[in-house]
Amino acid sequence: MTWADISTIAPLAAAIIVAAVLIVTDIVLPGRRAPALVVAFLGLAVVAGLAIAVGRTPGTAFDGAYRVDDLTTYLDVLFVAVIALTLLFAPDYLAARDLPLPEFAAVLLFALSGVMLISASADLLVLFLGLELMVLPGYLLAGFAKRDALSTEGAIKYFLLGSFSSAIFLFGLAFVWGLTGTTRIDGVATALKAIAAGSTPLSPGLAMGLAFLTTGVAFKIAAVPFHYWTPDAYQGSPTPVTGYLSVVPKVGAFALILRLFVGALGPLSADWNIVIVLLAAATMTLGNLVALTQDSVKRMLAYSSIAHTGYMLIGLAAWSSPNSQIAGLEGLLFYGAAYAAMNLGAFAVVAAIQRRTGISSQLESFAGLGRRAPLLAALMTLFLLSLTGIPPTVGFFAKAYIILAAVQAGGPAGILAVIAVLNAAAAAFYYLRVVVYMFMREPKGEPAPIVIGRLMRTGLLVSAVLTVVLGLAPGLLLTLVGNAARALTL
Amino acid sequence: MNVADLPLLSLITFVPLIGAIVIAFLPRDQPGLIRAVALASALISFGLSLLLLIGFNPTNPAFQYQEVHDWIPAFGIQYKVGVDGLSTILVVLTTTLSWISILASFRPIKTSLKEYMISFLILEVGLVGVFISLDLFLFYIFWEVELVPMYLIIGIWGGANRIYATLKFVLYTLVGSLLMLVAILATAFTFQNATGSWVGAFDFITLRNFAVTSGFVGNLQLFAFLAFFLAFAIKVPMFPVHTWLPDAHTEAPTAGSVMLAAILLKLGAYGMIRFAVPLFPGAAHTFAPIIIVLSLIGIVYGAIVALVQPDWKRLIAYSSVTHMGFVTLGIFIFQEQGLQGAIVQMINHGLITGGLFLLVGVMYERTHDRTIAKFGGLAGRTPVYTAAFGFFVFASAGLPGLSGFVGEFLVLLGSFAFNPWVGAVTASCMIWAAAYLLYMFQQIFTGQLSDFLRGLGDHLTDISPIEMLTILPLAALIVAFGLFPGLILHLVQGSVTTVLSEVQAVSAIHLFFWQ
Repeated sequence: MTWADISTIAPLAAAIIVAAVLIVTDIVLPGRRAPALVVAFLGLAVVAGLAIAVGRTPGTAFDGAYRVDDLTTYLDVLFVAVIALTLLFAPDYLAARDLPLPEFAAVLLFALSGVMLISASADLLVLFLGLELMVLPGYLLAGFAKRDALSTEGAIKYFLLGSFSSAIFLFGLAFVWGLTGTTRIDGVATALKAIAAGSTPLSPGLAMGLAFLTTGVAFKIAAVPFHYWTPDAYQGSPTPVTGYLSVVPKVGAFALILRLFVGALGPLSADWNIVIVLLAAATMTLGNLVALTQDSVKRMLAYSSIAHTGYMLIGLAAWSSPNSQIAGLEGLLFYGAAYAAMNLGAFAVVAAIQRRTGISSQLESFAGLGRRAPLLAALMTLFLLSLTGIPPTVGFFAKAYIILAAVQAGGPAGILAVIAVLNAAAAAFYYLRVVVYMFMREPKGEPAPIVIGRLMRTGLLVSAVLTVVLGLAPGLLLTLVGNAARALTL
Repeated sequence: MNVADLPLLSLITFVPLIGAIVIAFLPRDQPGLIRAVALASALISFGLSLLLLIGFNPTNPAFQYQEVHDWIPAFGIQYKVGVDGLSTILVVLTTTLSWISILASFRPIKTSLKEYMISFLILEVGLVGVFISLDLFLFYIFWEVELVPMYLIIGIWGGANRIYATLKFVLYTLVGSLLMLVAILATAFTFQNATGSWVGAFDFITLRNFAVTSGFVGNLQLFAFLAFFLAFAIKVPMFPVHTWLPDAHTEAPTAGSVMLAAILLKLGAYGMIRFAVPLFPGAAHTFAPIIIVLSLIGIVYGAIVALVQPDWKRLIAYSSVTHMGFVTLGIFIFQEQGLQGAIVQMINHGLITGGLFLLVGVMYERTHDRTIAKFGGLAGRTPVYTAAFGFFVFASAGLPGLSGFVGEFLVLLGSFAFNPWVGAVTASCMIWAAAYLLYMFQQIFTGQLSDFLRGLGDHLTDISPIEMLTILPLAALIVAFGLFPGLILHLVQGSVTTVLSEVQAVSAIHLFFWQ
C-alpha cells in the first residue's frame, strides 16, 4: 500500500470515517437530531468534493484492483446526492415513530461506502465486497421499525432472498475465476475475448457461470421473474427507507452490471444479450401490469420501480450492438439519475403524507390532497408525470434516450423500444390514478391536516427542480454520462 | 426597437405561461383578479397573433418569423419555430378561441378557479407551440404538454362521468403519441446514419429536404408513417379510433369542449399535413386508399350515429367525426381542391363547433341538463338564443354563404375529380347532416314549451350580453369566410402548393406482401 493508493481511495475512506464519526456523535450526544444531521451533511459534502477531486486524475490503485475513472466519479456524486436527499426526507417520519436518526444516518453512510466500492472496483472480489457492503445496510434499514411486524417481515424476506442471491452470484464468480484464471476485470475480459474470437463454443462451465451471475444480479435489480421479494420489502419498510431501497441498491446493482457485464463479460455479449432482452421485456411488462391493480400507492410504486428496471435494462441490451454501444450506456446512466430524482421525490410525498402514524399509503389517503395540501399535490403530480415520461420532465428525456439507443441498436433491442412505449402508455393509467384521487375525489370524513417540515420541503423542492431542469436542459448531465460511458468502453 | 425584431412567435406562445405563473402566486380569495389576469394574458397573446397575421407575407412560401436557438446540441435538437400560412391561421384560431373560452368560463367555473385558469393557459401554450414548432423533438414536447392540462380540465371540472372520460382521452392519445416518439427517434437516427451527423436530424426543414432529395428508405417510411398517422388519427379522430371523443366532449366543461373541438382535433389534421405526408410521401401514397375508405366510413357513420344521440353535446361530438372525416378525405386525395377544402374545413369546424358548444354551455348553465328529449319550444322563451343557435346550425349543415359550405364544397369537388364514387358517398352525407341538425333544432326550439323548461320558471333567461360577446366574433368570421373564402385560401396557398408538389412527385411504396 502506497500513499498514492491511499489518496486514490480517499473518498471511500472519507465515507467510512463519516459513518464512524456519526456513531461516535451519537454516543457523545445521544439521540440528538441536529448534530447528527450536521455531521452527515458536512461529511457528504466532503465525500463528494473528494470524489470530484480524485476523479480528475483517473488511475488505479492496489495493483489494479481499484480503479477510478469518470464512471466512478459520476456514480459517486449521484449516490452522495441520493443519500443526502434521503437524509432530508427521513427525519420527520422517523421522529414521529421514535426511531433513532443518528443510527439511520450512519447505516446510510456505510451503504454509501458499499456503492462507492462497486463503482470503483476493477476486480471481481472487490466487486463482491462492494455488493455485500451495499446490501447489508439495506436489510437493517428495511427492518428499522423494529416494533412493526410488517417491517420485520419485509426485512426477513429481503435478507433471506438477498443472501441467497448473493450466494448464487458468488458461485457464478467462482466459475468465471476458475475458467479464466484471474479475478481482475480486464484480465477476465482479455481471456474471454480469446474465447469469443476462437471457434470453440462456450464451455458448459462458462455458460453456468454466466447463468448464475445473471440470476444473481437479476435478483439485486429486481428483474422479473426474480422480483418477488420487492413488493413486500418495499411495503413493509418505513417509507423514506423504501425510497432509498428503490434507488440505491437498484442503481448500485446496475453499476455492478456495468463493471461486470460490460467490463468483464463484454466479449460474451452475443451470448448474454438475448437473456437481457427477454428480462427487459418481461420486467417492464409484468411490473406495469401488476402495478395497475394496486390500491396502495407504496406498493404501486414498488411495482413501478420494477418496470423502471426493465427500461434501464434496455440500455444494457442496446450496448451489445456496435451501433449503439455508447448510446446504450449513456441512456442507462442518464436513466439512473432521472429515476433517482423522480422516484425519491414520489416516495418522499408518500412519506410526508404518512408523517403521522396510522395513515396508510392507500389511494384513499390521497383523496382531496389538491385542496388539503396544494403544494404537495402539485409536486406529486410532477413526479408522477415524470415517471410516466411526459415532457418537459427528466423522465421523458430519459425514456426518449433509452428508446433512441434501442432504435439505433435495431434487431431484438429495437422491438424493446415498441414494447417500452406501449408499457409507458399503460403505466400512465396507474400513475394518473393517483392524480385522480388527489384532484378529483373528496376524502371520506375530515382527515388530519398535513404538516411539511423544513427539511422535507427543501428535499422535495430539490427533487422537483432537478426533475424539471434536467428535463429542459439535459445538456450538462449528457456531458457527464457521455464521459462516464466512454470511460467504461476504453 | 423595431417590431419586426421581436421574437413574436415565442411571445405568443409564452405570454400565457407568464400569466399562469402570475396566477399561481395570486391569493385564492381574489377570483376577480385571477379572471382578469387570465383574460388579459390570453388577450395579449391574441393581439400579438394579429400582429403576426398582419406581418405575414403570403406570397413567400418559406417559413417566416423563424427563431432558432441550439438546445441539445449533442443531438442537433433546436428550439426552432416558424410559421407558414397554415400555421399562422391555426395560431390565430387558437388564440382567438382561447380568450373566448376563458371569458366563457367566468360564470360556470366556481370551484378551484385558480387551478382552472392555470390549466387553461398552459393548454394554450401547448397548442400554439405545436403549430409553430419546426423541430420534431420540440413538436413532440408541445404535443404532450397540451395533454396534461386537458386531462385536468375534463377530470376536475367535467360532468358526472368525467374520470372515465378523461382517462380514456389520455390513454388513447398516449398510445398514439408514444409510438410517434419511436418513429421520430427512428427517423432522426436514419438521417444521422445517412449523413453521418446529428446536425439537422430533428429539424423539420432539413428532414423534408432530405425526404424530397433522397427519400427515406421504404421500411422506415412505412413504419414511421403508420406511427405518425396513428397518433394523428387518434387526435382527429378518425373511425375506428374515435371512441374517446364522444365521452371527452360530453364530460368536459363548456370551455373544455370548445377547445377540444376547435383546436385539439386540428392538431391531428395539422400533423398529417405538416409532418406525416411531406416526410413520408411514398408511404402516404401506399396507405391513402385505406385512409380514404376510413374517412368515408367516418363521414357516414358519424352522421348516422349523431341522428340517434339523446344528449345535446354527444350529438355535436358525433357531428365532429363527420366533419373531420371531410378533412382527412380532403388531405389524402392529394389534389388541390381537396387539400384547400380540408384546410378551410379545419378552420370552419373550429369556428362552428366551437360556437355550438358555447351555445350548449349557455343553456346548460340555466337548465343543468342536456337531454334533448326534455327540451322543446325554446324559441318562444329565448328568441335571441334561438336565432344564434339557428345560425350555427345552418352553418354546420353547410348553408351556402356561410363558411361551412365552402370547405365541404371544395372537398366534394376534389373527391368527384378523384373518383365519382367517393364523391357520391361524400355528397350523401350532406343530407344526413341536414337531417340530424334540423331534427335537433326542431326538437329543442319549436313546438310547445316542455314541462321541464316550464318548471325552471324565471331561471330560463335569454342569452346575456357577455355570452353574446363570446359567440359574436365566431359568427362574424363564419360570415366573412363564407362570403370571402379567398381570405383563407390566399393565406394557405403556399402551404398547399408545397405539400402537393412534394407528394405528387413520388409514387407509392409497395408493401412487401402486396408486391
